[in-house]
Amino acid sequence: MIKDLHAVNGALPITLPLIASFRQMPWQRKLALLFAMLFTFHSFMANAQVSEVSGTVKDEKGITLPGVSVGVKGTTAGQVTDNNGHYSLKVPSGNATLVFSYIGFLKQELPINGRVTIHVVLSPDSKNLSEVVVIGYGTQKKSDVTGSLSSLSSKDFKDQPVTRIDQALQGRVAGVQVVNNSGAPGGDVKIRVRGSNSILGDNNPLYVIDGFIGGDFNNLNPDDIANIEVLKDASSTAIYGSRGANGVVLITTKKGNAEKQEITFTPIFYTSRVIKKMDLLSAADFATTVNTRNTDLGLSPYFTQTQINDFRVNGGTNWQDEVFRTAPGQEYKLGYSGGNAKTQFFISGDYLNQDGIVINSNYKRYALRSNINSQFSDKLATRLNISAIRRETLNTNNQGTGGSVNQALAWAPTTPVRTAAGTYTLVDPLGSIRYNPVALANDVESIVDNSNVTLNGGANYHFFKDLSLDVSFGVDYQNIQGKNYSGPSVTNNIPNASRTSTELFNLQNTNTLNYSHLFNNVHSLNVTAVFEQQKYTSTGFSANANSLTFANLGYDNLALSTTQSAGSTYSGSALISYLGRVNYAYKDKYLLTVSVRRDGSSKFQPTNQESTFPSVALGWKLSEEPFIKKLNLFDTFKIRGSWGLTGSQAINPYATLSTYLSDAFSAANSFNNTSVSSGIVLGNAANPFLKWETTQAEDVGLDLSLFNNRLSFTADAYVKNTRDLLLSLPLPAYAGGGNIISNVGKMKNSGLEFNIGGTPVQSGKFTWSSSFNITFQKNLVKSLGSLASVFSDKSVANAGAGLSTQPEFIIKPGYALGSYWGLKYLGTWKPNEAAEAAKYGNKPGDSHYQDLNGDNAINGSDFQIIGNGTPKQSLGWNNTFTYGDFSVNIFMQALLGFSKLDYTYASSITANADAKQATNVGVLNRYIPGVNETSNIPAFSSTNTDYFESSRFLENGNFVRLKNLNISYHLPKGTIKNVDLKLFIGATNLFTITKYKGFDPESTNAGSGSDITQSIDFGSYPNSKTFNAGVVFKF
Amino acid sequence: MILSVSGCKKALVEDPKGQVVGAQALSTVAGLNAALVGTYKPLSTTWVSGFTTAAVVAVLMGSDDLTTHPASNKADLREFDQYHVSNLNGRMLNIWNGCYKSIQGANNIINNYKSTTGDAATINQILGEAYYLRALDYYWLVRLWGKIPLITSEVYSPEVLKVGTSAPAEIYKLIESDLLNAEKLMQDKKLDAGRTSKGAASALFADVYLTEGGWPVNDNSKYALAAAKAKEVIDNKAAYGFDLVSDVSTLWQNTRLGTTTSEEVFAIHNCGTCNWFNANALYGSSAMPGEENGWDDYFTEIRFFNDFPAGPRKDATFHTVIKKSDGTTIPWQSDAVKHPYFEKFRAPVEGSTDGSNGTVQMMRYAHVLLIYAEAQARSGAVNDQAYASVNIIRTRAGLASLSGLSSTDFVNAIINERAWEFAGEYTRWFDITRLQLLTQVIANRDPSENVPIGTPQYYLPIPASELQLNPNLGN
Repeated sequence: MIKDLHAVNGALPITLPLIASFRQMPWQRKLALLFAMLFTFHSFMANAQVSEVSGTVKDEKGITLPGVSVGVKGTTAGQVTDNNGHYSLKVPSGNATLVFSYIGFLKQELPINGRVTIHVVLSPDSKNLSEVVVIGYGTQKKSDVTGSLSSLSSKDFKDQPVTRIDQALQGRVAGVQVVNNSGAPGGDVKIRVRGSNSILGDNNPLYVIDGFIGGDFNNLNPDDIANIEVLKDASSTAIYGSRGANGVVLITTKKGNAEKQEITFTPIFYTSRVIKKMDLLSAADFATTVNTRNTDLGLSPYFTQTQINDFRVNGGTNWQDEVFRTAPGQEYKLGYSGGNAKTQFFISGDYLNQDGIVINSNYKRYALRSNINSQFSDKLATRLNISAIRRETLNTNNQGTGGSVNQALAWAPTTPVRTAAGTYTLVDPLGSIRYNPVALANDVESIVDNSNVTLNGGANYHFFKDLSLDVSFGVDYQNIQGKNYSGPSVTNNIPNASRTSTELFNLQNTNTLNYSHLFNNVHSLNVTAVFEQQKYTSTGFSANANSLTFANLGYDNLALSTTQSAGSTYSGSALISYLGRVNYAYKDKYLLTVSVRRDGSSKFQPTNQESTFPSVALGWKLSEEPFIKKLNLFDTFKIRGSWGLTGSQAINPYATLSTYLSDAFSAANSFNNTSVSSGIVLGNAANPFLKWETTQAEDVGLDLSLFNNRLSFTADAYVKNTRDLLLSLPLPAYAGGGNIISNVGKMKNSGLEFNIGGTPVQSGKFTWSSSFNITFQKNLVKSLGSLASVFSDKSVANAGAGLSTQPEFIIKPGYALGSYWGLKYLGTWKPNEAAEAAKYGNKPGDSHYQDLNGDNAINGSDFQIIGNGTPKQSLGWNNTFTYGDFSVNIFMQALLGFSKLDYTYASSITANADAKQATNVGVLNRYIPGVNETSNIPAFSSTNTDYFESSRFLENGNFVRLKNLNISYHLPKGTIKNVDLKLFIGATNLFTITKYKGFDPESTNAGSGSDITQSIDFGSYPNSKTFNAGVVFKF
Repeated sequence: MILSVSGCKKALVEDPKGQVVGAQALSTVAGLNAALVGTYKPLSTTWVSGFTTAAVVAVLMGSDDLTTHPASNKADLREFDQYHVSNLNGRMLNIWNGCYKSIQGANNIINNYKSTTGDAATINQILGEAYYLRALDYYWLVRLWGKIPLITSEVYSPEVLKVGTSAPAEIYKLIESDLLNAEKLMQDKKLDAGRTSKGAASALFADVYLTEGGWPVNDNSKYALAAAKAKEVIDNKAAYGFDLVSDVSTLWQNTRLGTTTSEEVFAIHNCGTCNWFNANALYGSSAMPGEENGWDDYFTEIRFFNDFPAGPRKDATFHTVIKKSDGTTIPWQSDAVKHPYFEKFRAPVEGSTDGSNGTVQMMRYAHVLLIYAEAQARSGAVNDQAYASVNIIRTRAGLASLSGLSSTDFVNAIINERAWEFAGEYTRWFDITRLQLLTQVIANRDPSENVPIGTPQYYLPIPASELQLNPNLGN
């Protein structure tokens, strides 16, 4: 390559005479030419040599080191080692001295002494903390990091079969909370970095995959991940400006290794089942209970004694057994990496096929990645990462009120799944008013096929040793095909089907200029300047058909139906950003980071379009100070602090405009019994004055490592204050209802994070390494402007008319997000309270709620905050025990300090609008006048009202879970020729310690984006207990 | 890569493609018409708002033609039956929300039609329908809640969160002026079965006058206006396209199927085969006994049934023989709730359904006839036309004609006739209210019916969700 450059340089004498025409050039061309000449001159200087030295630079372990700067002492000549650690340098004389320097390694000076080949081994300058971490728009020596960030490398989760990134993050990073809202394979997961900043907006962190901002972690094969860095404080996230407030997860995918060609093949087999089943009445007990209830209410008994006897002998339907199953799964991973000195590749493939524990649900993933890095010359490096992934889900959203899980609790055990004729029982005569839970799974197809292609390419050009320009382009294309079919048994014999198609096309261009230099050996300066632009476009259309002529044709022939409708959508937004950062270190002891980003977003009106997000951080490496060094105790002792502003765009495009609703559900009306007319309905009121939400965050932290790095400790304390909080204020129905979005609120998140890691035991063949982290997180709503409180704008769980008449969540200053709104349950009215009960139209045995305003009526004015669904503590404890070739991983995870509103239990123990009889065995223990008058489960009474939104159904959600248990055996090398073999078996969610009455304390109906609603459970898809076994083949 | 500053600015300009934005939406007749469709829509968004679910019978359940299951899972319906409605009750929200959303749509048309360019007659028709709908919406709200917020703007302003309630007399003023406009602007006949017309506006006007004659407005002078307006409709029935269907059974068969009949003055038409959210969920499962896989939401009170005169009308109205799943039949006296059910609100095809095409009869031509008969009797002499108006209905019901009654007896006979003819049809409760009959109605109840709790109320409480956003509504 250097030879090629010579050819270019050779052109110099020809270009020089052209100077005469220089004056006539437009200034842009002059500038370009000057640049060209500058570089040419630079190279020309380097050409004035007399001899050439070459060699390879390696680390202690013999791994080649790319990017090491190799200079000639006393001159400006020098270069950087290529990807294979090679350098080849023309030197002025054979007596010169070469200087090798590389971040994290001790600088080495070697006299040439006439040699032509010099191989060098660099030794790390500080054993553990010399590693380089990826920060936004660059990398930094870990020991120099002033912000708060947590790093995970693929080896941290290698002992757990990880099918998605959240499983790698869960419990392993202090300050990061991961909750599997849905246990469906590929289901919804909620990830929070340091709490929830926004009420209206999405609180998911920003994912940056190989520099591409806003990637979707679902579209990432976890096996492709080399490193994950979670940026937590404002100093590290402000560089992402208007999208940094929720924390940033930087993901770097694997690269090939020139030294080592490797093929790995890993088949894994899974089997999953539901964590637990609810304790429900047998058919005979249910029938007896129904008769008792009818008698108590003055109705005729429903079942005859003969029928009951028959149920006693033959049993009935166990609906839980009908809808849950033991679900198999399989995964095959293939990796191939290697390359040569100039070009390296990493290619991977993955196929995952996982059945869900609810019948007829499934998740499939096909993934392919190709990462290629190439060193075109010693100055120019190029890269191209291509990822193609397809995800197919079937019925993974079969949950909620009308889903199979909840209906399995609502349908009477006395009702058969199928009629004598073999068709589904359509109506439960005395249990649920909704559809047959088995039919809901089997006669419904809800398919989402998501195909994603990401191209991420770039070039890095080193003008000279200290200055480089990096230009990258990213394309993220997603095609989402939805196919839905609801068959005759779940549509009152009016089968319907629909197709949806969505195309997301996102573009990004990032241009990064970086300058780094060490002045006078004491002032280390690193300056980064970036111009970035992004464009997001989403288009879609849908087609619906009702009353299919041939139900079996489903979504494949929509035209054959009585009525059809079509819709289409468009959404677009753009972001233009400028940013800069300076990292400065004095004597490698005192560290300073200053950054600023200016973002312009199309989502706002011109006056509010642009905003600036600055940050500053300081660090002090005490371990470099003589008085600490003297103690000979600390390998690392660093304190750091940061301040910064980050933003959130928390709103969708067009929120500042007043638009109409035009979808069929909202606006299409039928004026006769054969057709519908499309219409428009006034939508939400618009607010043209919307602007960014801004989060001001402060962080102080401490990093320690002792005993030759066998024990490390990190602690952080932080406060995040969000202002101009966007709120969706519900408007009264008399004013047309809906919401208006305004920047009115203030919210505070604060917390403490601790991470202790180490190797407690290391003796002979036995090693125990352990890592423990705990996070204390507090959320507080500080202000809602002039409003006293705001309610969640619709009841998420939709418990049914009359039972969930109020929003389930309230946002109120002085309380955390996720506050439950309900009645306080005081147990049942007791016999000695008959007179008091009568004032409410109740009698002993009926539900007794607190009458807050003492008006002898239970109504809206008696609602109060009865609990909170946001976990206050999360912790993880990861242990790996190694003995020789055996390794055992035990990973515990816990979420503490929160309550769950358990509608799942509520709907099974009450007779309600959706299910006319209780099915839970708990009902046997109800209040029975004269028999069991201490029970707080209400009696069968026509004067009793069961409010779902009450503390009666509020339960402690705390749980500790054995998240992963894995045992692996590495066959001794050489057991099989040329094959390195590892066998493993394991289990996830093997046991859970909890008092929660529902299926799973972790699963919830609350969505993963918003935090207004938390932890509520109404037939959510529970997580499963999964066993796995597999083999890793390495060739 | 290098973009000029103006280029950047340009890239940040929003292009809301595919969105219907702002005032220009109503600049064309097509846009104005779409807004009108959107004004009808909230009256029949299945399960969500309006009159096509059991919510509409729930709010009227204090009446003696309606009751519900005595057991716990119908607690929200029983609250109405027992006059003990919590402001948390979710059923009433369907009516409250539906009417007010429709009012907002009507306000939008009424306040902005001037910016529409196009055929004047078409614009007038759309405007007239908007006036009619606003009057209808307020008429329902004022009869159920009494004092309510009076909103005539479609635009949100912070002041709207502080608005208080207006007395019924204020609301009726707006209803009258809207109906005057509606009559003036619309064509005689409906453009489609589910739309409204001049004839429907006049008929509603007659009903409004009749109601204003009673409680709470108590303006006796309105009876004469009611009689005159009803007579006007009767005299022009051919022009308006109104007439009785010759037999009750055909009337209800067609109603259940959604087939248009001449008896409809104003009706909500549904298309369950089109979309679930365009379906009628008031008929079918909701009205059917548990033994027949129904939901037992509503059925009739025993005394009401027993007093109901036998004949083809009674047969078409009630379902008294219940077929169990094993094929055997039992009389209503032996069903789980020991009550007779409605025949006229069953699914059009046997078998359970909660999503039919059935028509919700908001007002029938029979209403016009009986409004005339009552209003004429209250404002003047019981003349031949008054007798003719009631007797044609009695004849169809298989009953003997009335004759030679005193004015009081005649009025009482009409009130009874209305109860029977419109059993379950959103009429009886409003008669009980305007004539203040609650005490005697409760006294007349069968002892086995749900027992009233506390002092019976004519009005419903303002929903808690609204009070929370605007405490001034409680004043």
